[in-house]
Amino acid sequence: MADILLILFGISLLFASITNMLSGIVRILVWQGLILFALTVLKTNELNLWEFVFVALETIVFKAILIPWFISDTIKKNKTKREVEPSVSNFFSLGSMTIIFAFSFFIALWSGKGSHSIYPLHFGIAFAAILKGLFIIIANKKLITHLMGYLIMENGIFMLSLAIGSEMPMVVSLGVSLDILLSILIAVLFIKRISNTFDDAHSDELSTLRD
Amino acid sequence: MHYLLLWSFPLLASIGAILIKNTKLDSALVLIHSILHLGLGIAFVMPQNPVAIFFGVDSYAALFFLISAILYLASALYTYGIKHNLSPRQSSIYAVCLMAFVASMDSANLSQNLGLIWVFVETTTLASAMLISFEHHKESLEAAWKYLFICSIGIALAFVGVLLLIIAQGAVPSLLVPQILARVGSLSPFWLKLSFVFMLIGFGTKAGFAPLHFWLPDAHSEAPAQVSALLSGALLNTALLPLIRMQAVMQAAGEGRIAGQLFMGLGMLSVFIAAVFIIKISNFKRLLAYSSIENMGIILIAFALGGAAGRAGIIHVMGHSLVKASLFLTAGNIYYLYANKEYTKCSGLLSRHPASAWLWMLGFVFIIGLPPSPLFLSEFFIAFAFIQSGNYLLLAIWAILLSIIAYGLGRAILAISMGKSDERAKLHVLSYLPGYLLLIAAVLSPVLILIKAF
Repeated sequence: MADILLILFGISLLFASITNMLSGIVRILVWQGLILFALTVLKTNELNLWEFVFVALETIVFKAILIPWFISDTIKKNKTKREVEPSVSNFFSLGSMTIIFAFSFFIALWSGKGSHSIYPLHFGIAFAAILKGLFIIIANKKLITHLMGYLIMENGIFMLSLAIGSEMPMVVSLGVSLDILLSILIAVLFIKRISNTFDDAHSDELSTLRD
Repeated sequence: MHYLLLWSFPLLASIGAILIKNTKLDSALVLIHSILHLGLGIAFVMPQNPVAIFFGVDSYAALFFLISAILYLASALYTYGIKHNLSPRQSSIYAVCLMAFVASMDSANLSQNLGLIWVFVETTTLASAMLISFEHHKESLEAAWKYLFICSIGIALAFVGVLLLIIAQGAVPSLLVPQILARVGSLSPFWLKLSFVFMLIGFGTKAGFAPLHFWLPDAHSEAPAQVSALLSGALLNTALLPLIRMQAVMQAAGEGRIAGQLFMGLGMLSVFIAAVFIIKISNFKRLLAYSSIENMGIILIAFALGGAAGRAGIIHVMGHSLVKASLFLTAGNIYYLYANKEYTKCSGLLSRHPASAWLWMLGFVFIIGLPPSPLFLSEFFIAFAFIQSGNYLLLAIWAILLSIIAYGLGRAILAISMGKSDERAKLHVLSYLPGYLLLIAAVLSPVLILIKAF
C-alpha cells in the first residue's frame, strides 16, 4: 500500500513537469498533501491521539487545504495569467525529471548497501521531490510558481523525514511546520505587495538592485 | 531548553506594544530589552558563574551571544539618535519584529540541538524580512523578497542536511552536538559527508558565502542602518555557528580534511568575489555588504587552517562584527545627510560633520586590519598559519585580494570624507556615540578572548 502511494507521489512529480496551468500545480499540491497524510498514518506503527491530530493538522489542513487555497486566492486577486509560462519546454522538463529520478535512486541504492535505516524507493522519491522543487524554481519566472516549487521541495523534505522514521523530537517538528507555514504566509503577503508596486510579479521585474 | 526563557520578555513586551501602540513606549521597550540582554551576555562570560551553567552555554555560545548583545544595545541607542517618521502602528510592528529577531538569534546561538538551531535560524529570516522591507519602497520590497526566498530555500537544504545526519547515525539518533560527538565512531562516513555538504550550502547561504551571497548586498543595503548593523554583525555569525560545530563533528569523525578543504574553497571564493565587486560598485552601503562577504570568507579560511588560526577566527568574528556594525551605523548618518548612496555624489563629510567623518575613517582603518584593530591580530595569525602549512601560493593570492579590497574601500571612504562642503550639519549625539563605543569595544575584544582562553 505504502509503495503505491509512493509511486503516486512520483507520478505527481512527473505531472508537474507537463502541466501548463497554474491551477494544475495547485491541484498537485493538494494531492501531495493527502498522499503525505496517508503515508504518515501507514508508516507510524502506534500513533497516540495528539500525534495523530498534529499530523492531520500539518498535512491535511496546512498542506492540502490552507496553503493551496491561499495560492489560488492570490492568483485570482492579482489577476496573474493562468498559464505556467516556464522558460524551458515541457519536453525538456520531463527529460530532466527523468534524470532527477535516476540520480535520486542511484544515491539511494548506492549508499543503501552500508546503511540499514533507509528504504530506497522512499528515499529516492523524497530526494527527487526536493530536486524537482529546486528545478521548478530555477526554470520559472513567475514568483507564484517559485513559491509552488518551494512547496514541492518542502513536501519532499517532509517525506524524507518520514523515511527516517519518527525520531525527530516533537518540539523540532512543531517548530519546523510553524516556520514553514509562517514563511508561506509572509511570502504571499510579499507577492501581493510586489504585484501592487511592480507591473507584474515576475522575477524579471525584480532587477532594480544589481551590480 | 532553558534558553526559551529568553522569549518571555519579548513576548510580554510585544503584547504591550501591540495593545498600546505608542512610538515612545516601543523604543523604550526595545532599549530595556537590549540592556537586559547585555547584562545576560556579560554574565555568560564571567568566570564560573551559575547563569551560564543554568543556560548550558559553552564558550562559543557565550561569545556569540555577547557580540549580538553589544550590537543590539548600540543599535537601540542609535535609534534614539535619528529622526524617523513611523506611524504608531508601524513602530509597534517594528519593535515586535526586532525583538523576535534578536530572541530567535539568541536561541539559535545558545542551542546545541541542530534541529532547534534550524528552527530558530529560519525564524530569524522571517522576522528580519519584515524589518528589511520597512521603508516600503520598490527597492526594499525587492531586497526583502530575495532575502526571504533565497534564504528559505537555503535553509530548507540545511534541513535536508540535518535529516541526513540522522540517517548517518543509524539506530537511536540524536541531534544534540555533544551527544553526536560522544559516539562519533558509529557515524556512517558517506551520509555524514553528504549531510555536511547540505548544511554548508544551507547555513552558508544564510551566512553569505559566495557563490550563495546574492541576497546579501541587496538586503544589507536596503535595510535601515540599525537593522543592517544587526544583520551584518550578528545574523551572519549565528548562521556560521552550526557550521563551526559541524566542523568539530567532522574532525572527530576523521573527515576533518574534507571539511577544511570545503571551507578553504568557499572562503577563498568569497574573498575573490568580494574583491571583484568592491572595485566595481559605487553604492557605499553595498560596498560594506561586500566587505562582510569578504570577512566571512576570511573567517572560513581561518577555521579551515585550524589550530592557532582557528582561535584567530574567533577574534575575527568578534572584531568584524563590532567594526562593521559601527560602519553601517555611520553609513546611516551619511545617507541621512546626503540622501544618496552613491559615494561619487557625496563629499566633504569632514567639514560637514567631523564626528561622523572621523568615525567613518577610523572604521575604515579598523576594517582593513591595521592596528589597533583586532582584525590585524587575526589576519596576522592566519598569514602565519598559511606559512606554517606551506600554502605560499594561497597566501599570496589572499594578500593580493585583501589589498584590492582595501583599495576599493579606501577610495570610497576617502571620497566621502574629503572634499569641500560649506554646509554644517548637526546630528544628535546618539547617532555617532554608539559607533565610537563599538570601536572601543573592538579594541578591547581580543583581551576578553584571551581571558576566556580558547
